[in-house]
Amino acid sequence: MHGYAPTAKVDVDATHRYGQLVVHEQLKFSVAANEFICICGPSGCGKTTLLDMLAGILKPSQGHVLIDGIQANPKQQSISFVFQEPSTFPWLTVRENVATGLKINGARREEIEAKVGDIIRIVGLIGFEGYYPHQISGGMKQRVAIARAFATDADLILMDEPFVSLDQPTRERMQREVLDIWRHRKRTVIFVTHNLEEAVYLADRVLILSVKPARIVADLPVPLPHPRDPLSAEFTEIRSECVRLLHAPEGGDAPPFGSI
Amino acid sequence: MAVTSKVAADRAESPGSASRSFNVGVWNVVSLAIALGIWQVGATLVASPFFPTPIKVVEAFIQLATRGDTTGHSLLAHAWASIERVLVGFGLGVLLGVPLGLLMGLYPKLYAGTRSVIEPFRFIPPIAWIPLAIIFFTGLTRFAFLIFLGAFFPIFTSTLVGVARVEPIHRKVGVVHGASKFWILRNVVVPTVMPDILAGMRVGLGTAWLTIVAAELAGGISTGLGRMMTNYAELLMVPHVIVGMLLIGLIGFLMNEVLLLIEKRLFRWRWQVSL
Ligand SMILES: Nc1ncnc2c1ncn2[C@@H]1O[C@H](COP(=O)(O)OP(=O)(O)OP(=O)(O)O)[C@@H](O)[C@H]1O
Ligand SMILES: [Mg+2]
Repeated sequence: MHGYAPTAKVDVDATHRYGQLVVHEQLKFSVAANEFICICGPSGCGKTTLLDMLAGILKPSQGHVLIDGIQANPKQQSISFVFQEPSTFPWLTVRENVATGLKINGARREEIEAKVGDIIRIVGLIGFEGYYPHQISGGMKQRVAIARAFATDADLILMDEPFVSLDQPTRERMQREVLDIWRHRKRTVIFVTHNLEEAVYLADRVLILSVKPARIVADLPVPLPHPRDPLSAEFTEIRSECVRLLHAPEGGDAPPFGSI
Repeated sequence: MAVTSKVAADRAESPGSASRSFNVGVWNVVSLAIALGIWQVGATLVASPFFPTPIKVVEAFIQLATRGDTTGHSLLAHAWASIERVLVGFGLGVLLGVPLGLLMGLYPKLYAGTRSVIEPFRFIPPIAWIPLAIIFFTGLTRFAFLIFLGAFFPIFTSTLVGVARVEPIHRKVGVVHGASKFWILRNVVVPTVMPDILAGMRVGLGTAWLTIVAAELAGGISTGLGRMMTNYAELLMVPHVIVGMLLIGLIGFLMNEVLLLIEKRLFRWRWQVSL
């Protein structure tokens, strides 16, 4: 289905407005192929909007969002998206939900069965394949959405606060699984989180955004080998730096149309 | 955990259905018996030829079913004539109402721009079309047309309203995986709107029955339950009129039950709310 592209390099240079509301003002950054980056920023600063543009769902008002040099377009590139909102289809079972992306891509039945089985095991939903979303918990629904996104083996994976509804141990397990999947087959991951510890634990690089109109406040590399120890001195230091930058004067949400 | 949850899944699909349907069955038999009892007592007390007892009605039914009516048509022929008309008209209503509702729901401008043409028709009762239908059409076409008018609007309107219920996030899921517009229509829009379509069909079916009887009463044909009832009303044979009425109620009820069964199969995924 998708043109073969083993990696995805991302270039963003975009301005976006919703009517009068300027969300991004010349937001500019790149992500190298196979890089894992985390994006942190105040609530309402435009992280979800940014991911929508990266997924090709939304066109920036000005500028461009390029994947491997061409305009982001889900029909041509293989992209997966774990949405912030609940996004499972209530009329499909867990198994059918997870298979959605594969079916759209026209995968063969045996392939779908094998991949869906694998990923359901990884996210810990064995035994719930026949359940409908209203019969499982909020965190389980989120794991269904994660499984659906990973089942397709996309080159670019966008994750929007994917683990917020999970308990701490499950969250940590999912973090390790995502890292595992990523190391097993490299690809580009852009991961939005409010949890700075999570960001430093996962990312090659942490981008910190300002309030609207969002720009990059900081671009911090995390040069630590995996698996990382959140209690180590280096880890704590990078984390403190992130906290400091996020709480900088422009941290926190400004009212919309603040200047008008 | 995995093993027990599998059991739970099976249970979740049919929550206590066996014991509950048993109770429901008993209750319905009891209420039916009470209703018949009240009827029997009432009719016995009044003792008027215009207020027959259930037994008289059963006798009329047997007579109509075995020997046919005064014009030589069997009860089955009358009933089937009505059913056929309803099915054709109702089918046309579904065939046009659903696609048009989807189209106008998905392209609201199309609806907004044609409202003034479509909406006034909604308020002309199908019965008001009977005189025109008698002039323009004959036979099955006439009834199909009238019933179509009755069934179309409930189905069209609820489909139209249902489209607004499609969650943008569900569309996004399709778009992100590179789905075509048709895939999204088939796999996101239709499943979301389906409950509204079925609800519209149930309302439309009710309107269809209302219309058929009125249309048959208006005359011009020799078969149909409505026709049969007018014939007997003119002869003041009340039990035979009541047979027609009860059959109309029964057939409508059974058709509705079929739709409910379809809903039950189709919407196993739906949660149930009770207060
Ligand atoms: N469809 C829309 N129409 C108009 N404004 C929008 C729309 N979507 C988002 N916005 C606005 O754009 C801004 C950024 O929203 P966005 O959802 O991208 O924030 P976010 O960074 O993801 O926030 P959070 O961390 O709370 O999820 C918000 O002020 C929001 O009100
Ligand atoms: Mg968001």
